Amino acid sequence: MQVTINICTQEIFKLETRMVIGVVNLSRWLKGTSSSNKIVMSGFKTCGSSDLGASLIGGESGAQEEQSVSVRASAVLEECLASSVQSTPEIEKKYVHRVYDAIAPHFSSTRFAKWPKVATFLNSLAPGSLILDAGCGNGKYLGLTADSFFIGCDISAPLVGICADRGHEVVVADAVNLPYRTGYGDAAISIAVLHHLSTEIRRRKAIDELVRVVKRGGLVLITVWAVEQEDKTLLNKWTPLTDKYVDEWIGPGSPRTRSSSPFTLGSSSSFALESIPETEENGLKEKLNNFRDSSSAMKGSENGQIASEGKDHLDFEAGEKGESHQEYFVPWHLPYHRAEVSGASVGAVANGLAKKDDKKGAIVYNRYYHVFSQGELERLVSGMKNAVVVDRFYDKSNWCIILRKT
Amino acid sequence: MRLLTHNMLSSTIKGVTNGFPLKIEPQTITQRPVELNPVFLKNMFAKLEWKPLVEASRTMGYFELPEDVSDLSVLESEEFLQKLHHALLEIHLEEGALVCPETGRKFPVQKGIPNMMLHEDEV
Repeated sequence: MQVTINICTQEIFKLETRMVIGVVNLSRWLKGTSSSNKIVMSGFKTCGSSDLGASLIGGESGAQEEQSVSVRASAVLEECLASSVQSTPEIEKKYVHRVYDAIAPHFSSTRFAKWPKVATFLNSLAPGSLILDAGCGNGKYLGLTADSFFIGCDISAPLVGICADRGHEVVVADAVNLPYRTGYGDAAISIAVLHHLSTEIRRRKAIDELVRVVKRGGLVLITVWAVEQEDKTLLNKWTPLTDKYVDEWIGPGSPRTRSSSPFTLGSSSSFALESIPETEENGLKEKLNNFRDSSSAMKGSENGQIASEGKDHLDFEAGEKGESHQEYFVPWHLPYHRAEVSGASVGAVANGLAKKDDKKGAIVYNRYYHVFSQGELERLVSGMKNAVVVDRFYDKSNWCIILRKT
Repeated sequence: MRLLTHNMLSSTIKGVTNGFPLKIEPQTITQRPVELNPVFLKNMFAKLEWKPLVEASRTMGYFELPEDVSDLSVLESEEFLQKLHHALLEIHLEEGALVCPETGRKFPVQKGIPNMMLHEDEV
């Protein structure tokens, strides 16, 4: 049976992502189908509705049986897509979760400088506020404003443990699926979190969750690492994501599907690394200068690119140049004396998740990042029906946005 | 885990229609005094699901919260604010479990931290 999927999407979502996830889950749904079945992705329409919808036209050798198949398949597809959003992709398990679990104490010791922009936001909230920090890490911002109460959550139990040791109220939870009832918080923050989510759907879901858990009129601050780094040499030193990781990862960068060619699962994608022509680069620099906030002077870095405790910790591997590329591995050097004698690091090296660097006396982990391009955060939220943008800015190599729930 | 947090936590297991409130199975409870903030308490009062809070506080061994708070003048009573403060912020569940009201699935609480992470098949 040849199944043709026409997918209606919100204009902001990259079609490839939706298609790929849809196909993966649709194939699971099509139980008992023979290997001769092909799934053909053809064309797409943008719908007025903000909900993902799919109409499925199925038929045997050309015969079309639309209506009843469409409705049922659409519902199933939506459900598949919905649940798939919350399942953690392999690349995040390996290159985000396990890494932070392994490096938690060392990572925490380097996270103490408070970013002025976050402090400003928190101080602008009414006294006696309840503030939710989703992806709180080592709890750096919990309790920042004395007269508000913070509840933090992170997916890393070791990091959450560090927060609890400091007396904070915390929960181990997934930012993509917050175990919170709707509208409880006065405000929410997501500081350097969304760039660890490997698909656009998950990033958008995490934003939906942040907005969901605050009250009407509540504010949400989101910050993410920018493609447009103030120190452009950093980007050159990060390792761009390559083909060998594609099985673990579904996301933008998958090849654009041509309309009449079958899309078979398991084929390798190619990632074109385009370099930005000179004129574009200069234009970008200008835009950065316009955004730069001269009033914020931060010692050491806040966005995590340079460790505050000695610069040796983050030594980037040389990688290919690809400024328009957004998927990277950013290394973390865990000094031998900070690594556990037995446990996560030994296991990580044994199964290839980390490398020993004797010269630097450290175990090198890679963290997955999807760095955001200019305007990407706005595009991600542009279709939201229950939130409006009240501020957007670039600061210290991060794109930032403030939303208000309507 | 404080009852302030418990009043927000909800089970998001696939298929569950209403995952709130979670039933508390306490094992170890501690009390830790903390400064009272009336502005915060009054702000929180509007957000609370009162009956679940009362029931949760009783499970945790505290029986002072009134069942009926329909008279909002109660917020002006220092005595009431003290009780609300104590229930929300000073009683801690250190070890125990939170139980999904529909599936019975237990979310462990260890060292005061609820682990709300779902398994692959619950998502």
